[in-house]
Amino acid sequence: MLTLKNVYIARDHAPIIAPVSETINAGEVLALMGPSGVGKSSLLAYLSGTLPSGLSGHGEVTLEHLAIQDLPIEKRQLGLLQQSPLLFNHLTVEENLLFAYKSPESRFLRKQAIRSKLEEIGLEGLEHQLPQHLSGGQQARLALLRTLLAKPKALLLDEPFSKLDHSLRAEMRELVLDAIQKTQVPTILVTHDQEDADLMATRVYSLRSI
Amino acid sequence: MGFLGVFLPSFGIDPAAGSDQFTLTAWKQLFHSAEFWSGLSLSLFIGVVSTALSYWIATSLVIACFGSHWFDRLNTFIAPILSIPHVAISIGLIFLISPSGWLVRWFSPWLTGFERPPNWLIVQDPQGWSMILALVIKETPYLVFAIMAALSQLDARSRIQTAKILGHTTISAWHGTLLGPLYRLVRLPIMIVLAFSITVVDVALIIGPNTPSTLAVTLLRWFNDPSLMLRGQASAAAIVLACGVVCMMLLWEACYFIYDKLRKYVTLSGDGITNIRPLTWFSALVGSGIFLLTALTLIVLPIWAFAHRWRFPDTWPSQFSLNTISRLGQRLFELSMSSLSLALVSGFVALLISLVLLERERRFLQSKLVTTMMLFTVLMPQITLLFGIQVGLLWTGWNGNWWSVLLLHLIYVLPYVYLTLKAPYLAFDERILQQANLLKDSPIKNYLLIKLPLLKVSLSAAFALGFAVSMAQYLPTIMSGEGRINTLTTEAVARASSGDRKLVSSLALIQAFLPLICFYLATVMPKHWTTWRVALRRKFC
Repeated sequence: MLTLKNVYIARDHAPIIAPVSETINAGEVLALMGPSGVGKSSLLAYLSGTLPSGLSGHGEVTLEHLAIQDLPIEKRQLGLLQQSPLLFNHLTVEENLLFAYKSPESRFLRKQAIRSKLEEIGLEGLEHQLPQHLSGGQQARLALLRTLLAKPKALLLDEPFSKLDHSLRAEMRELVLDAIQKTQVPTILVTHDQEDADLMATRVYSLRSI
Repeated sequence: MGFLGVFLPSFGIDPAAGSDQFTLTAWKQLFHSAEFWSGLSLSLFIGVVSTALSYWIATSLVIACFGSHWFDRLNTFIAPILSIPHVAISIGLIFLISPSGWLVRWFSPWLTGFERPPNWLIVQDPQGWSMILALVIKETPYLVFAIMAALSQLDARSRIQTAKILGHTTISAWHGTLLGPLYRLVRLPIMIVLAFSITVVDVALIIGPNTPSTLAVTLLRWFNDPSLMLRGQASAAAIVLACGVVCMMLLWEACYFIYDKLRKYVTLSGDGITNIRPLTWFSALVGSGIFLLTALTLIVLPIWAFAHRWRFPDTWPSQFSLNTISRLGQRLFELSMSSLSLALVSGFVALLISLVLLERERRFLQSKLVTTMMLFTVLMPQITLLFGIQVGLLWTGWNGNWWSVLLLHLIYVLPYVYLTLKAPYLAFDERILQQANLLKDSPIKNYLLIKLPLLKVSLSAAFALGFAVSMAQYLPTIMSGEGRINTLTTEAVARASSGDRKLVSSLALIQAFLPLICFYLATVMPKHWTTWRVALRRKFC
């Protein structure tokens, strides 16, 4: 369960969005909508700990009853999927996934697990490719798989489908929804596309500026 | 020509010495010389250790500062340090760390009990640690500068954030996602540092070991042997030194390859890199110490230059005076003018040649030949190349005048100016010049009045770098000047061991001060040039 209590973003101590208080239960998807520039992505950045300097975030964020807003990024156990897949181009597909897949299992078992996951999303046989040699759709799937392999306790989606064409977008939506159902993680989806919200969200929250 | 000039004499063919018989005597002599083997191992040891330390400290410092306001401050600190010559830093370091140096004075006698300088072998120690320290002080800022420039091409912030969101710590994120690609971008600066550290002469003469000396210093002595009997042996040693540099570069790459594989294995092992965190922070702390030492070396120089009486163990001089400066005023002025004229002319000529080469490259061909030649000059040991060129100069009888010194300065100034200017010059949006040519049919005038002023920031930065490179040249000046042309650098190196600290510090101070002024002007003037010009026009027109 991910809870936001009076969370808002400020610039020079002046709030730029109205405070948000919401609880997202396991497997739920909260769509965060609002006009461009209102601060949707900044809110996600505050949750993930990547807020750029110049902006400050306020309010309490709890994940499974643990306040995470002051924790370092790597301790928050959140997954973040953005427009750009942000893959590491100097590592192969398999190495990108190994980087995220932390487990006490042996390297051999982890590699086996990765190969079967790659098969599930239709990327079998590509484990030794470099990410820049994959298509846009393949890169998006790889980014999703990498995020899930880190076993996040909540998922933040920052317009992850906006760069994809229509057919790829539908395919990715399905994959992401399927992953959310399987892992039962609470999810926040930032989008300006009503179709994304209609097809994926359990609830929609309209963010207001001040 | 430079390479032939050492290759042929090593096999007995030396027209300048009047011999034309092919022989292997020089090589046999060289391999039987104990001084050669000890000098070679010392040179390789100092070069590799100082480069490895500089790289590790520079990387740790950048990791520690990245994402904080210290990162921008680091950038501001570094740029002026880069323009200060090695010689000035080495001399300042001696005044700081020697047994009678400032550091010991701070703690004497109240803590150490020393009423006289202790009998410690700190500078010119046989293992070369003081020389390693001097090289680390000078090379760490250069590598930090190179790393920071490379980071801007790698979208570093988002890489680190992505890795952290995936659960990696800062250190693990750096090692897993950035340091590998970063190394490919800073490989050339690292190789330049490695080649320089193995073959440097001036720093070695000032603060390096002398029982035995590094190979570069030893072979300089052999070359200058009045009997000319050792020239063949020196040429052979110069070739070995060049080969040693290449071998060390290959060894470095092999070691880095293994290190990178190991790092990747650990990063992808399931729990990331965690155990080198204390080492990284410690190295960053050492890096901060390096900057502090640099600042202290620059502070101690003017104190000595203006000291009238400074007895050990006093922390400060008992009296300050302008005696040294006024006593040596005429000599310092002559040396400054000599250095200034060479630096200004070589910087300006190198800028002109670079503009011609780059314009030719932009219009006709994207050839790698020029860049390769420039890199070859920078990476090739100065001592090897210059001896060859000197043989040529002697043969043509064109040695020992201002023009020959200028030519040799130009050989080393040009690559730096060209390589600095290349990226911004080729990135210039030519449509602006095309627009100017459409408006006014005078291409040359448009080039001078439109394109060059728009490139003024890059042009002045390249000129300032060329100026600093020329100011720091030691070997090219003594080899082509034959003692007739002296500069602040040659005089400072020659006097470094004289014991006249006031004179040496005055020389080093001016030597450090002139490039700093040039660097400052090159940074400030282009930014305000247009504002000043418009203000002047408003006032007088």
